[in-house]
Amino acid sequence: MTRNRKLPLLALIAGASLCAAPSLFAAERPSSPVAAYTAMSPEELADYLIFEMEGFDLHAPTQEGGTARDRLEQDRTQKVCSAIARSGAALDRPTAAKISALAEESIQLPEGDIALGDWKKGEQIARSGYGYRMGHRVDDHTGEPPGGNCYACHQLDPNETAHGTVGPSLAGYGRLRGTSDAMLKHTYQIIYNAHLFFPCTTMPRFGHNGTLTQEQIRDVMAYLLDPESPVNQETEQTAQAD
Amino acid sequence: MRIKNAVRAAGIAAFLSMASHAAQVQPPEDVLGELIERNSSDYLTQSEQNIMMMPDNPALWTADEGEALFREERGPNNTSLETCDLGKGPGVVEGVYVELPRYFEDTGRVMDLESRLVYCMTSIQGFSPEDPEVKTRHGSDSDMMKLQTFIASRSSGLPWNPPMDHPLEKAMRDAGEVMFYRRAGTSDFSCATCHTNTSKRIRASVLPNINEPHEWTKAISWPAFRVGQQNVRSSTHRIRGCYWQMRQPQIIPGSDAAIALMSYWTDAARGQPAILPDKKR
Repeated sequence: MTRNRKLPLLALIAGASLCAAPSLFAAERPSSPVAAYTAMSPEELADYLIFEMEGFDLHAPTQEGGTARDRLEQDRTQKVCSAIARSGAALDRPTAAKISALAEESIQLPEGDIALGDWKKGEQIARSGYGYRMGHRVDDHTGEPPGGNCYACHQLDPNETAHGTVGPSLAGYGRLRGTSDAMLKHTYQIIYNAHLFFPCTTMPRFGHNGTLTQEQIRDVMAYLLDPESPVNQETEQTAQAD
Repeated sequence: MRIKNAVRAAGIAAFLSMASHAAQVQPPEDVLGELIERNSSDYLTQSEQNIMMMPDNPALWTADEGEALFREERGPNNTSLETCDLGKGPGVVEGVYVELPRYFEDTGRVMDLESRLVYCMTSIQGFSPEDPEVKTRHGSDSDMMKLQTFIASRSSGLPWNPPMDHPLEKAMRDAGEVMFYRRAGTSDFSCATCHTNTSKRIRASVLPNINEPHEWTKAISWPAFRVGQQNVRSSTHRIRGCYWQMRQPQIIPGSDAAIALMSYWTDAARGQPAILPDKKR
């Protein structure tokens, strides 16, 4: 198994070094056709520069299989949420409902009850920003498993100071919410595809995109919900709320 | 070291007096200091140590080396870059960087500083694109970083002002805006995921907001010496790093996609003074 999984990476490294030479610099490309560019809408031109003019190294293999081109292709959710963010407008209700429905369709719940995994493994996943990076330095998933990088955006363990603030604080997550089946399902759904409850959220769709396995999601859930987890130890926040 | 510092200070003083007709050219630490005085920003003030060390920024040496390189006769044609037109006529360096990317008649393209330098080094000096002088883009020791840092430093304190007169300049800026907000990849990220919030952090780093021009000017003030990497880095290097973090594929330096993105991000800092060379974490 391990041996087998190493093969694509070797191919990937070989591929990267083969095409590292002249194609990486585009300054000598034919001059841009003024008329063609200005006739396009901004969206059309962006896609044209990315895909037709090959503004990215489209042929590089990716960790998930396939090529860089696939990574750059947008699905419906990505496309709609990008356009709304660019317009600066608030998300309207019908669009929000549509994005939420797409999320609901995408979520595959585990069979039977959702059981918490191992919070210690979940902590490692929450701390690790490894995985899926490509280009000049390629993450090798055979050497280190991809993480969830939760700390990049969220506070979790209240004693960890190097946490991001792009997402809400999750310190005391389980202590504040309990561990009912409904809460377990709710948490699983958020990690799998948070657009279900927060349409056009900036949170990655870890389950939908396949960047965390079902087992990893359950481990992260344990880190969030297990009463033993450091996330649920400090009572700083409740003290303030009281 | 002391003597070298004095020589450099004298050089800067001479340059500043020479450039006194363009009164806004200022040492980068003064530009940053004034921005911090006028605005409250967690991003601008996040590293007290970097602010303090600005006058000893190693990028200032890189700029000096770049000036020597700019004036040196070299390449197969044994010519200096003093006839290179960076947008304000042959050999003009002062103030050109804050007006890039821009449309160039001779190539029919919108070009950023790096692609324009490649053009001048190949067309004027006769280098091949494969020569290390042209091909090596990263690191304080590369010709490309030395030249870019020199040229950029001659726009310090001047307001970003990329021209939008030519239809292609406008088209590229607008396409760059689409790219900035364009979510894709295994993490659904776009540039906007991180750079449309004020005072938010990724881990311990405070992020600059593109909608706050006084923050954004520092964000795009490259070349900058990156303390964590001990090297002077370019806009191209920053964009490469961002796409890597976004789990998206490698953007091609000098491609119209890369230049479009730079057109948008420079336009977003319009009117704010450039901090060049900057120092970043």
